[in-house]
Amino acid sequence: MVVNWARSGSPWLIHFNTGGCNGCDIEFVAAVTPVYDVERFGIKLQGSPRHADILAATGPVTSQIAQSLRRVYDQMPSPKFVVALGTCAVSGAPFRNCYSIQGGIDSVIPVDVYVPGCPPRPEAMIDGIAKLLQRIRGAKK
Amino acid sequence: MVTYEVLQLIVFPGALFAICLAFLYEWVDRKLFARVQGRYGPLYTGPAGIMQPVADFLKLLSKEDIVPRACDANLFFAVPVMYATLPLATLFMMPIAAPEALIAFDGDLIFILFAFGMMTLIIFLAGWSSASRFSAIGSVRSALQMLSYEIPLGLVLVCPAIAAKSLSVSGIVQWQAANATLGAALQPIGLAVTMVCLLAELELVPFDIPEAETEIVAGWRTEFTGWRLALFRLGRDLEVLLVAALVASLYLGGAQPLWLIPATAMFVVKTAAVVMVFSFVRALFARLRIDQMISGMWKYLLPIAALQVVLVQIGVGV
Ligand code: SF4
Repeated sequence: MVVNWARSGSPWLIHFNTGGCNGCDIEFVAAVTPVYDVERFGIKLQGSPRHADILAATGPVTSQIAQSLRRVYDQMPSPKFVVALGTCAVSGAPFRNCYSIQGGIDSVIPVDVYVPGCPPRPEAMIDGIAKLLQRIRGAKK
Repeated sequence: MVTYEVLQLIVFPGALFAICLAFLYEWVDRKLFARVQGRYGPLYTGPAGIMQPVADFLKLLSKEDIVPRACDANLFFAVPVMYATLPLATLFMMPIAAPEALIAFDGDLIFILFAFGMMTLIIFLAGWSSASRFSAIGSVRSALQMLSYEIPLGLVLVCPAIAAKSLSVSGIVQWQAANATLGAALQPIGLAVTMVCLLAELELVPFDIPEAETEIVAGWRTEFTGWRLALFRLGRDLEVLLVAALVASLYLGGAQPLWLIPATAMFVVKTAAVVMVFSFVRALFARLRIDQMISGMWKYLLPIAALQVVLVQIGVGV
């Protein structure tokens, strides 16, 4: 109970671009500006994967970065969650079946929340993360 | 009587009170920082987000504990424990509930200076033990920073001691109470220099060079997870409280009752004021470069600190 409350009350994010066009990243950065004030939910942007709870990944997974994505994910302490931001991250979208693309984020690591859109609005991203938090709060042990 | 003393150490005004106050001040700091930026800050965790630091702490306690294979396991274990306990132990020398601290002896001011030095040493060991390049750079920067602020800090902290003719923090508080004066009124320069040095000690913006997020990930803390990181954060909060208590005791009169207001309330008000000044500075400034910090400290702060010593000495009468 208390643990779930604490986990849902202080999600720390780390942002990782797996090869997107940067559109999603700009929207993500906009989402953590004072205008949207995600610290209301206790969200903090962390630099080190060792400190983070939620991996916010954007862009399709290129063959080159798949390994690094896996490694960043492995470096995070569990329980950890992944949010796929943008249509690319969800499925690979326009770059699907490209010679250098493996697919969406879930082709490499398990994904908890998908936020489609090209790019999704900051509100959509925050909504996705808030849904994830709701699930953590309600989670049974 | 012994049980009463133990209770004093553990509950009030000892460990438990200090930890609660430290968490409260982290919330005050984050909230004010957010307000200066035109945000709300923590809002949904407890009323007005007041439980945010507790939630962070509990969450980190419940997380997986990763020990990198390359690190020095013993040191990796010892460092977070030391980092959290040292400021807590030093807080016992701060007058909180009465003008007399729990542990007061002649020379505890020196001990406090030593504790500040030790904190940096522990940070250095933290970076060293985690065997990561980001941590190593962070800890070396931290040590470099200490070499610059420690000397002006030591000089200005001597001034209240000279004025009060006592090397004990409690003695200085009692001297201010007895003479109905404030250290801040007598040594405004000293207060300013102390604030700048203590900002550097706490590694707050504009002196957050050792943990510069945009350059070296999270500095010396990069590799720590789970309860270790939780203890580091707790230690940081306690250190903020310690620093605020030091400024409040030496310059603002510390824990002395005012008419009907009890000493503890005065202490809380004064330390909260110091914490708020820190968060204002944190919100208003950008990070300095390490060379700017070092040359600034040595070229400007050190002579000003020396000037303060001379002025106090003249004031007291040679
Ligand atoms: S979803 Fe659209 S904006 Fe986002 S990375 Fe892909 S192409 Fe770019």
